[in-house]
Amino acid sequence: MLGLLVAGWLNQSAWAQSDPTGKRRVTSTYAITNATVFKAPGDPGSKATILIKDGVILGVGSSLTLPKDAKVIAGDSLFVYPGFIDGAGTMGISKPKDVERPKDFVSSTPPDEVAGITPWRMATDSYSGASTLVDDWRKAGFTLSQVIPDGGMLPGKTALVLLGEPKTNNFLKANAAIAANFRSSRGMYPATLAGVMAKFRDIYQNTALVIEHERLFASNSGVKRPQASPTQTAFMPVVQKQLPVLFTAGSELEIRRAIALQKELGFKLILTGLEDYASVIDVIKSSGTPVLIKLQVPDDKSIKSQKADGVTEATKAQYARVKESYDNALKQAAQLEKAGILFGFSTTDAKAADVQKTLKAMISNGLSEKAALAALTTNPATILGVSSMAGTLEKGKLANLVLTTDTLFKEETQIKHVIADGYVFDYEIKKKSVKAEATPAKSEAAPNGVQVEGVWEYTSETPAGSSGGEITLKRENGVLAGNITFDDPSGSGKASAPIKNASLTGKTLSFEFDVAAGGMSLTVTISGEINGKNMEGALSVPQMGSFPVKATLSSPSQAN
Amino acid sequence: MKKHFYLLVAFLGLGVGMSHAQIQKGSLLIKNATVLTVTKGNLESSDVLVQNGVITQIGKNLSAPAGVSAIDATGKYLMPGIIDAHSHVGLDVVNEASAPITAEIRMKDVVNPTEIGIYRALAGGVTVSHAMHGSANVVGGQNATLKHRWGTEDPADIIMHDAPRTIKFALGENPTRVHGRGNGIQPRSRMGVEAVIRNGFNEALQYKKAWEKYNLAKTQKGNTLTPPAYSERLQTLADILDGKIIIHCHSYRADEIYMLINVIKDFNIKKVVFQHTNEGFKVAPEIAEYTMGASVFADWWAYKMEVYYSTAYNAAILQKNGAITSINSDSAELIRHLYHEAAKTQRYGGLTDEEALAMITINPAKQLGIEDKVGSIEVGKQADLVIFEGHPLSSYAVPQMTFVDGVKYFDRKADKDDQRLSVAATEMVEPIFLRANEEAHRCMQDVDKYFEAFQGAFFVNEKH
Amino acid sequence: MKRILKSFCAALLALLPVVAVAQIDGEFVKPRTGKFLLENATVVTVTKGTLKNTSVLLENGKISQVGTTLSSEGAEVIDCTGMFIYPGIIDGGTRLGLVEVSSVPETVDYADVGNVTPNMQALTTVNPNSEAIGVTRVSGVTTVLTVPSGGLFPGTAALINLNGYTPDQMYGGFKAVAMTFPSSGRRGRFDRRSDEDIKKDGEKAMKEANDIWENAKSYLELKKSGAELTYYPEMEQLSKVITGELSLLIEVNSASDILNAIKWVEGKNIKVIFTGVAEGWRVSEQIAKAKIPVVTGPIQELPTRGSDRYDTPYANAGMLAKAGVKVALRTDEEENVRNLPFHAAFAAAYGLGKEEALKAVTINPAEIFGVADQYGSVEAGKRANLIVSTGDPFETRSQILHVFIDGYRIPMSNRHIRLYQEFLERSPGLKTN
Repeated sequence: MLGLLVAGWLNQSAWAQSDPTGKRRVTSTYAITNATVFKAPGDPGSKATILIKDGVILGVGSSLTLPKDAKVIAGDSLFVYPGFIDGAGTMGISKPKDVERPKDFVSSTPPDEVAGITPWRMATDSYSGASTLVDDWRKAGFTLSQVIPDGGMLPGKTALVLLGEPKTNNFLKANAAIAANFRSSRGMYPATLAGVMAKFRDIYQNTALVIEHERLFASNSGVKRPQASPTQTAFMPVVQKQLPVLFTAGSELEIRRAIALQKELGFKLILTGLEDYASVIDVIKSSGTPVLIKLQVPDDKSIKSQKADGVTEATKAQYARVKESYDNALKQAAQLEKAGILFGFSTTDAKAADVQKTLKAMISNGLSEKAALAALTTNPATILGVSSMAGTLEKGKLANLVLTTDTLFKEETQIKHVIADGYVFDYEIKKKSVKAEATPAKSEAAPNGVQVEGVWEYTSETPAGSSGGEITLKRENGVLAGNITFDDPSGSGKASAPIKNASLTGKTLSFEFDVAAGGMSLTVTISGEINGKNMEGALSVPQMGSFPVKATLSSPSQAN
Repeated sequence: MKKHFYLLVAFLGLGVGMSHAQIQKGSLLIKNATVLTVTKGNLESSDVLVQNGVITQIGKNLSAPAGVSAIDATGKYLMPGIIDAHSHVGLDVVNEASAPITAEIRMKDVVNPTEIGIYRALAGGVTVSHAMHGSANVVGGQNATLKHRWGTEDPADIIMHDAPRTIKFALGENPTRVHGRGNGIQPRSRMGVEAVIRNGFNEALQYKKAWEKYNLAKTQKGNTLTPPAYSERLQTLADILDGKIIIHCHSYRADEIYMLINVIKDFNIKKVVFQHTNEGFKVAPEIAEYTMGASVFADWWAYKMEVYYSTAYNAAILQKNGAITSINSDSAELIRHLYHEAAKTQRYGGLTDEEALAMITINPAKQLGIEDKVGSIEVGKQADLVIFEGHPLSSYAVPQMTFVDGVKYFDRKADKDDQRLSVAATEMVEPIFLRANEEAHRCMQDVDKYFEAFQGAFFVNEKH
Repeated sequence: MKRILKSFCAALLALLPVVAVAQIDGEFVKPRTGKFLLENATVVTVTKGTLKNTSVLLENGKISQVGTTLSSEGAEVIDCTGMFIYPGIIDGGTRLGLVEVSSVPETVDYADVGNVTPNMQALTTVNPNSEAIGVTRVSGVTTVLTVPSGGLFPGTAALINLNGYTPDQMYGGFKAVAMTFPSSGRRGRFDRRSDEDIKKDGEKAMKEANDIWENAKSYLELKKSGAELTYYPEMEQLSKVITGELSLLIEVNSASDILNAIKWVEGKNIKVIFTGVAEGWRVSEQIAKAKIPVVTGPIQELPTRGSDRYDTPYANAGMLAKAGVKVALRTDEEENVRNLPFHAAFAAAYGLGKEEALKAVTINPAEIFGVADQYGSVEAGKRANLIVSTGDPFETRSQILHVFIDGYRIPMSNRHIRLYQEFLERSPGLKTN
């Protein structure tokens, strides 16, 4: 509720306050220097500096004068893109309380509230920027989202929210669209899809009549006063074509049905949640409806579980059909691009951790990188009516940026920072296997006779003192594996852990292992150069840093 | 002129596979079949020429115009495409069971052209089906007459747009169980069913009057009359009273059939067809006199009290009493052998071949108001045709090919086994439907979901 | 006497549809036994070919003679010139007599509480006066297996003839314990369990079934060793299956379930009959190899899978027979068992062939149920279950003129026919004031 937001609000006044948590940022001015900047989809990328202040981009260029209060983020090895925009999602939205059924409840004529018809409800009332889902999506690069309230067939009005500092007022627009879908009510009218469509028409037509009635009342005397219901009042901007309807339609038939309603009644329509839409691309195109497709591809569990041997011809034919359907599903986004349809993404029901995987699947099935980026940025900005404020990196626009370690959509690219509403969020970069040629765990015999298999004794110098243990390495079926012992963080003795992601590239050995400490699991990385029987390198612990490590091969194994 | 005509025919004859959104129309020549026209007798060793979806010639030794392929039907029977006047195939929703009157519901909104039941019906020679609202409500939704143009993803492609409007009514055990006994809303008894219908019609008359009054007043200067609320529900009832919609009324007991006949007499409604009507035979003279007839089962009975006192001779008795009689399926299983169901009238009642075949062709066409377009093999009608191996009224008959608008949609020898239009990308194990009664008989579908808890016996054994 | 009857039969023929014999206002025609000579018909014996211009003599409830020149001494003669005589048709699986109106739970008697109730008897529950019996038998179906359904072991089925006023009078000499084999398929369009859950549920159910079987085996062992065990009717009945005294009817339909069932019965040395077998065609070779007879149907049913060829249920029986499986047909019906001949026609037209289809509803079920010495063909010495028709009883065009069950001449009437007689020409008709 609104109250919650007020309670957590940071005082936005010009004069600063003391903050005993020490968490408040020291400045609202940042300069990302000398990064490779992609201002908009299709931009080949060029070195530039971006200056932002108070959530606004003050400049993008190569020769900007940086103010003294600008905190510098060294962008030399970074790539900057406009912050991603979620066309429609439910992150941060909590379920509203169930409405109590009145004592005289009749299931054939239920009150609108009980039947899930609540177009007056505002997403802002049930949104919290502090939700972990918001954190997850921000981590995936999203900086702006249109959030849909939870409810029935007309759950309420959507809001545009910035995924910035949760304690501030993040609402860019409190009233962006009227959400609609084909969800029916349980045990009352409308109980089915057919009922929902009839009810939608009924609400529309009667709202139009109430508008007419109000007009009459305003212009003539002696007219019975109009009594618009809350539903009708909330629905008026739709009939007056001032507010679009954001209709959730996942399947081809749902898409057709939503567009049919639009053709019949004439309201502004945006479709969201599209999942299966290949066969209706021409219908979408001719209706001129912008769409937000689900940022998810079908899971490949069934494809993976298809057996190669011991299956009948009939089963093989079934497998082929499922595979065909799966492949076609991945090609859909590319077909939208080809048809020239304006489309963005919807995060509803999608997983933030799968974003890159999903985008890569679409790209390897025909979607151009330019179109993918556009669907993440400029397209949704247009669809949501905020293209003057967001979608590209330009002076004057909102400070929403994504900073990555490499160009987007590459296998190893990771997101290092996300700036939303001018607030900077940092993320840990995982060190993957260094070179592309060193395919870890699959390399054949050690190159150049570098001895790696055997038992190594190691010591590491940490601020807490010296620690050590044994590293046992063995090659099995071409895969380098083994385990490591170390001082048990909980106190006594030695703990042991299996080695993960081990690889040997030239003379450099690197591997990871997990340490359980204080209820958490940390992934520790060791990387070092081998010279004969000695190894020297570094041991790094996340959020703590790197420490020198030395090891000696005490028992080389015979096999090598 | 003739030359022009043949050129046009040749040009049209080439086109069968057309653009996605357009309705496909085909041309072909079926040769040397025993043609069962239904309305104009049987013709031995005759040909039927179809051009651009329409039957243009019937005779002997016809020649195919350029570009029109011929099908040799020697030794086979050709009959009009079968019409099922009561079906729920191809619908994503069957019952909006939450209110006793839901005339605003449009089954055209929920048509699903990819349902495999459509193909299976084609394989049984059915080319047109009346996709109806279920029987949970006294006044259900408006039905959709479908043409079985299999293979399209667009619902508009299979809806017969020029078919007259029809609506579903239901009397007896189903609405009284759903609303009265299940939910405490009228009707709970057959008395209540009549009351609900009369109330509905009277409210509609009031609605109609209010709008007429408003529409007149709003053109006047200084008008202070405000628009009444809009209600598609009442407007549809008003349309029924104005003769714009044919009522198809699910009914069983003789007394309730008679009740509705009196109601329609009171409201001057002429367009009524009784559906199922297992006891129709007890009021056959009344049905013949005052209505557009009855659409019945061949031999289903005893699954509910209201069908316990049925007879398999129902269709024969109605026919002999002069009522327009058709045989329907109300089942995704039965629709596949309606020709066999019609043949049962020969066992139970000794009907002639023509009478029996009429029950699944011209008679249901009349009841759906499409008898000028389909239902018999006559020049000028749409080319909905079925080729049979064996006379259709023989228990051993096997449909071979089915055509809608002259386009072949079923071919026993050429069609691939798996006819599903789409398959889920995540399907691991194909679902197996075993003796799924709920699959076949759908008149009460969606009602079980509507009730959180209900008697198990009702759900398990319920058919209609 | 004979002459009157002869001309009456002629009048009967001319009077399609079927009307009850010698109907006098108010008089009720009862089933009658006696000596009957069915003269000069085409006799389709099923086992000994089709005999033209042949007569059949019935007496003492049996077919006493089949031949060309039979004496009509002391017999009621029925002139059957131009007509056909077939054995009474047998339906291998129904719930006839166990339910009257399926939507009225008080009349539904084929399922009870509990997963293991093999001791519950269908026979004693059969309502000999069920309306459906009269409706069924005039179609030529004279004998049915009526089967409880529901849980794992829902009860003991019984073969009944459709004549008699007590179940004992109707009993046809065969009983079997029914079993519903644990299923691994999706139950229908509303079964929304995940694939893993379905597998798990199937495994759990199979384990449960095996445990119960082991229990029954222990029961039998201890009993054999002379132990005096406490009352345990369920195990008592199951042990009769283990000893082979009673057959086991296993209802199983999906291909994987059928294979599991074949494995399950291996080595158990019991008399097994598979019923249902909707996907039998997928594993027909395995069923044939296991030499398990099959009662399949209903033939007029939807395919089990969306990807199946549309006519799979029609063709199933034919494919099973082609692989060498012994096939009998069933309707699995309650009130429309009368349609079995038509189901058989569909099976015939879609691959089984007319001859095999006829066997599948006559001699095959008789053999599978071990009563082939009594039923299933027109042979001297067998019980007098036969029908006289104007043509092939599988054809709707044919009329069944006479039905004999256990030597009783059945009145060709039932409520459907009586209603037809009353309402064909209702009096008063349309009374318009």
